[in-house]
Amino acid sequence: MNWPAAPVLLPLVTALITLFWGRPGMARRWVTAFSLLLQFAVGVGLVMSTYPGRVLVLGLGAWPAELGIVLVVDLMSAVMVTLTALVALVAQVYGFIEMRWAISHPLRIPLIQFLLAGIQLTFCTGDLFNLFVAFEMMLISSYALLTLEADDWDIKHAFPYVAVNLFGSALFICGCGLVYSLFGTLNFAGIARRTLEMERDGVVTLVSLLLLLVFGIKAGLFPLHLWLPNSYPTLPIPLLALFGGVLTKVGVYVIIRALGTVLPHDLGILHAWLGGFALVTAVVGGIGAISRPFIRGILSFHIVSQVGLMLLAVSFMTPLGLAAAVMILWHNLAVKSSLFLIGGTAALLNRSDDLSRMGGLWSRVPWLGVLFLVQALSLAGIPPLSGFWGKYMVVRAGLEAGEHLLVAGSIGVSVLTLFSMVKIWLATFWAEPDGVVVRVEDPRWRRMTGVVAVLAVVSLAMGLGAEGFSRIAIEAARGVLDQEGYVRAVEQFLGKTGGVTP
Amino acid sequence: MALETALLVGVMFTVATYLILQRSFVRILFGFLILTNAANLFVLSMSGRPNGRSAPVVLEKGVPMVDPLPQALILTAIVIGFGVAAYLVFLLYRLFLDRRTTNATEMYEEP
Amino acid sequence: MLGPPSFIFRSVVRFLFFLVNVFALYLLLRGHNLPGGGFIAGLASAISLILLSLGIGLAELHRVMRFDPMRLATAGLALALGTGLIPVGMGRPFLEHFDGYLEHVPLLGRVHVGTPLLFDFGVYLVVVGITCKVIFVLGKSTQRLVALVAEDAARYASPVERPIEETEEEGGRNGS
Repeated sequence: MNWPAAPVLLPLVTALITLFWGRPGMARRWVTAFSLLLQFAVGVGLVMSTYPGRVLVLGLGAWPAELGIVLVVDLMSAVMVTLTALVALVAQVYGFIEMRWAISHPLRIPLIQFLLAGIQLTFCTGDLFNLFVAFEMMLISSYALLTLEADDWDIKHAFPYVAVNLFGSALFICGCGLVYSLFGTLNFAGIARRTLEMERDGVVTLVSLLLLLVFGIKAGLFPLHLWLPNSYPTLPIPLLALFGGVLTKVGVYVIIRALGTVLPHDLGILHAWLGGFALVTAVVGGIGAISRPFIRGILSFHIVSQVGLMLLAVSFMTPLGLAAAVMILWHNLAVKSSLFLIGGTAALLNRSDDLSRMGGLWSRVPWLGVLFLVQALSLAGIPPLSGFWGKYMVVRAGLEAGEHLLVAGSIGVSVLTLFSMVKIWLATFWAEPDGVVVRVEDPRWRRMTGVVAVLAVVSLAMGLGAEGFSRIAIEAARGVLDQEGYVRAVEQFLGKTGGVTP
Repeated sequence: MALETALLVGVMFTVATYLILQRSFVRILFGFLILTNAANLFVLSMSGRPNGRSAPVVLEKGVPMVDPLPQALILTAIVIGFGVAAYLVFLLYRLFLDRRTTNATEMYEEP
Repeated sequence: MLGPPSFIFRSVVRFLFFLVNVFALYLLLRGHNLPGGGFIAGLASAISLILLSLGIGLAELHRVMRFDPMRLATAGLALALGTGLIPVGMGRPFLEHFDGYLEHVPLLGRVHVGTPLLFDFGVYLVVVGITCKVIFVLGKSTQRLVALVAEDAARYASPVERPIEETEEEGGRNGS
């Protein structure tokens, strides 16, 4: 019965073990990798037990009343948990290969585990204040990781990240207070039940706007995205893959969860606003990427662009639109992080990730080129790769909802993405400039490429098995939108364990 | 009571925002500390009027209490704020060691 | 630093150290139903240690204490998490707590005990450890002492980087 807590407990225990162990070493790395594999297995188990449409509930501390914290895992959370564990596993192993244990920072492993615990708690929680705690766990670990191995240039750019997120946290506390005073509970199911009963109220829209603002900061929604493109490129590559692949997507997940499950579906003008801002986010991210001359910078701006595309799909608030958002979200988790890792491998071979000082990789390391091509075209949405199906569903959902402008914008953004990817491809793999060394004699790149191939296979499977994959996404989106089913599952659980206080 | 609390929270948010937008690190730090406290006070005001009700402490049966949940939330938020404040002090101190300045504008100028 | 601390301050601090810790224990034990608990008790204990460090100096305190506060915090976190994990082993929800009464305790009679106290003690250790580590490292760094001793450095510092105080000293020499 404790399975919903397992994705949170495993990283916490691992973090403690590695903290006690203290000194870096090979055995410590094996323990970490094994734990991450176990987390992935737990995620797969959760997916199998929640498909289709079952909801697992756990009341922490066996408190009888609605005041206790519940963990709720449905299909959406379970898949997020699984993919996060997979990305973390790949990024961590990549980091192990990249750096010998003797020169690695001893605190990196425990901090990544604390970060994972925070992320997984965000996916599993069924309580608004617990969500705040999960966010803080995640954010404090990410602050620490951002500044752990930073030089003074990096720290300078980490400061805006910290400052913006601190402000967001303060707003989140205020949002929790407002939600409590408005609904009398912080439980997601409790809030959802009251919104089903309540008349439409302007105050509800206002509180929703505040929450959307907070989650928008985490997700990097325009105009709250400015902290992201400068702070992320300062990270080491494996951490960058984890941050870029997972951390901003947590914000998108929370927005999907909040708009779909918790808050009323009828929020008036708010969804239209979200759609407009999401389109601007996508365009700004795409254009911003053009301005960057190095791989990490280009990909970091593309995080913003992709987040915009997902929220664009969310803003339609139809089952198909939400399914499209979920599909892009999952595809992006795998593709984005693997692109960062491929970029890191290319930078290792060329000794730089500045596009003007790279080149000659296609003739020397064609397999890396193939991996990049698959993932980059998938990100741009070329059929039959995984990115295409998500975009196709966005377009269909948009046309059904009659949002022709947003649909046109989302297609335009795909062109921008393709442009940036082609730019990286031409400069890194195709060009053969003089004076650029390709260090093929470095043995690490083969193993790194092998590790990244795992994520590429996952993304290929998503694209080629789009039939089954989209069915899971539609099922997950249906679960997210099914407020009554969610409330029923949680109340049944509370009823089983004791009296429910209304 | 509600009006006074609202005014106080408003003033604290104003002061905090003003301080965060200053150039000196020390002021930025104090801005964030006040911001956390303002948010906590805001949540505290959600537990309703304290008139004639006791603090949420188990004393004897039948004594009306104020709503304990916001206070529990604040307790958590204070602990988290404590950790974040410690982190922020270190970050600003490290920035100071790097550039030997406590002025944010000077820090972001290219050397 | 403004010279060595005064004799009066040192004597008072040595006396206060025990007083504050007894008070912290009191706060920890009454924390279940009354204001108090692990966090505030931990802060009180940490303050006693910080006062002591002001009285006898950070280097001397490190010699006396012999253990790394961070290890204390890790142990506390393990204790708190372990208390939460006990019910998981029994097939009950995570973090469930149990309590009961101990009859015929000498001097006290009937005593109400429960596992929340263990959890609180874990929190207490975490708070003491983290607060002390934060203040001691910051204090050593501002007093131009080596912030991390060799044992700490192997656990908490990157092996390829030098402490920022050293690099800064060097830069200062080159500049002058």
